[in-house]
Amino acid sequence: MGFISRISAAIDATFSSFFQRVFHPMNDLLLGIGEIWWTVCAVLLFCGAIGWVWTLRKEYVNLDAPHKGILYDLRIWTIISMLPHILIYIIF
Amino acid sequence: MGDDVVASQLANIDVVIVVIYMIGVLILGTFFARYIKSAGDFFLAGRALPFWAIGMSVVVSDIGAIDFMATSGAGYTYGIAAANFDWIGSMPAMAFAAFIFIPYYWRAGVFTIPEFLGRRYNAAVQIIHATIWGIFLITMLAVMLWMTATMLHTVLGWDRNFCIILIATITGIYTISGGLSAVVMTDVVQMIVMFIGGAALVLLSLHEVGGWSSLQETVTAMPGREDHFTLLLPHDSSTPYPWTGIVFGLGIVMATGYMAGNQAVVQRTLGARSEWDAKGGMLFAGFLKVFIPLLVVVPGLCAVALYPDLSSGDKAVPIMIREILPPGLRGLMFAALFAALMSSVDSYLNSATTIWTNDLYGRAYGWITGRNLSPIHALRTGRIVTFMFIILAAMTAPLLANQEAMYNFIQTSLSMFQGPVFAILLLGILWRRATQWGGLAGLVLGVSFTTILHNTSGVFPSDDPFLFVAWWSFVFTIIVTVVVSLVTPQDPDEKVRGLIFGQVMKDGVVQRVLRERSE
Repeated sequence: MGFISRISAAIDATFSSFFQRVFHPMNDLLLGIGEIWWTVCAVLLFCGAIGWVWTLRKEYVNLDAPHKGILYDLRIWTIISMLPHILIYIIF
Repeated sequence: MGDDVVASQLANIDVVIVVIYMIGVLILGTFFARYIKSAGDFFLAGRALPFWAIGMSVVVSDIGAIDFMATSGAGYTYGIAAANFDWIGSMPAMAFAAFIFIPYYWRAGVFTIPEFLGRRYNAAVQIIHATIWGIFLITMLAVMLWMTATMLHTVLGWDRNFCIILIATITGIYTISGGLSAVVMTDVVQMIVMFIGGAALVLLSLHEVGGWSSLQETVTAMPGREDHFTLLLPHDSSTPYPWTGIVFGLGIVMATGYMAGNQAVVQRTLGARSEWDAKGGMLFAGFLKVFIPLLVVVPGLCAVALYPDLSSGDKAVPIMIREILPPGLRGLMFAALFAALMSSVDSYLNSATTIWTNDLYGRAYGWITGRNLSPIHALRTGRIVTFMFIILAAMTAPLLANQEAMYNFIQTSLSMFQGPVFAILLLGILWRRATQWGGLAGLVLGVSFTTILHNTSGVFPSDDPFLFVAWWSFVFTIIVTVVVSLVTPQDPDEKVRGLIFGQVMKDGVVQRVLRERSE
């Protein structure tokens, strides 16, 4: 792995100061975000996915479903699958 | 993983359980050989898989015996934050994969993701993607066999070469004879065994520490472990799991890229008996994923309370098995470890074979002879390639002894590839204007950018910033692909028909054509 280490060191020497100038201000900005917003962002990812699925046409979501009942509606199953995850992020 | 043996003694009942499990899986797997008549049967299970089998197979393929140790070890070292990979790193991504990516792969009637990229962009994108994934999958097979043999040597004291030959023989026989059907149906049994064995360890571990509340109080009272029950850690956390990396790098890029772009995952949905089963299988897998951290992270947390001074988190599960499980349940737990291992080996083997047969051998055959592979030719080639790969993996596995750097290098290389591939997949499906040159430039420059960013120190607060690297490589690839696409000629309508999300949602003609093609 000596060759890979040398390449890695050369890349680091060439680019580190440039990337540090670009990313350090972003790091400072992100450090100022309050803890409650971490959870909000995580929960929003789940809720956003649920909301997006409900914007899709029902015929598209349930194409080829073996039956037409609510039990075969994948939009419902999306909510059921997401709920335990959302609760976990709210609790922990 | 080291060479420290934390061996458990197997009672006769444990040996009987493990042997019955092995023989049962072998019989079940080879049973499906009678249904294999063509390449479609071998690679895509004759497109007959129900949603529940797909969901269980996706989950169990995703977790190997090494993960049982490594994720428990991460739980021991970093706490519950290690569980993010199965929670935020699964369900949202699976929903996006189920309703955007899977329907397209499914309707296009493709075997592999490189094949889809070849249709949407060009042959160069297909071959680059197929070559990298093909090499990755084969190398990982060897690495997986060696590391699991080392793990079994550690926990059972068994000879490593014996373990490699045993696992390679059993998985090789049923994967060669039964193809994807055998892989998925044995995965179903393996998931049930894994859940039962894992649940036994979790329940007895929790009983040992006095229940969940007691565990939480004990661990969080320990100096330096106050955050062990916190899922989202600060942005400047030195662990690999700061909240920004988890939400953006993992939740949006790595997880979706993995669920939509990993051949081993996607191949199961392509074998579905209907598009509804393909989508439902992904959602079911996402639901089952809720329970995975309970099986792999909780034992690590219990080990913190019981054995707070272990030299390595990887020893948590072996010690818990040895100290807590009684005879009988110990055999069940080892059957679960074998299940985790075999389900991953068979998936990697089947996926590597599919990519090499269809995207590399099939392409080369077409260029040389001017003809496509016939179904019988592809089936025969698939079986020969599977046989060659498992032999190759078993023979090269011992050569990887003490090459943990190689394992890390391969894992890192794949993570560097994931952001750029997901970016061109996403643009290829959602944006009509993405061109073949945009896709090629995005892939090549995106991987180059990732390599540079990954090797540059002091940029992000985390000691192992792979989640940030994944996010920024994704953003960079999006920009490159968009810019290059806008300055290159638009691809003709005939080429992209049926491959763009908006067309399938709104264009009645395209929907009819796709429907006829899939039927």
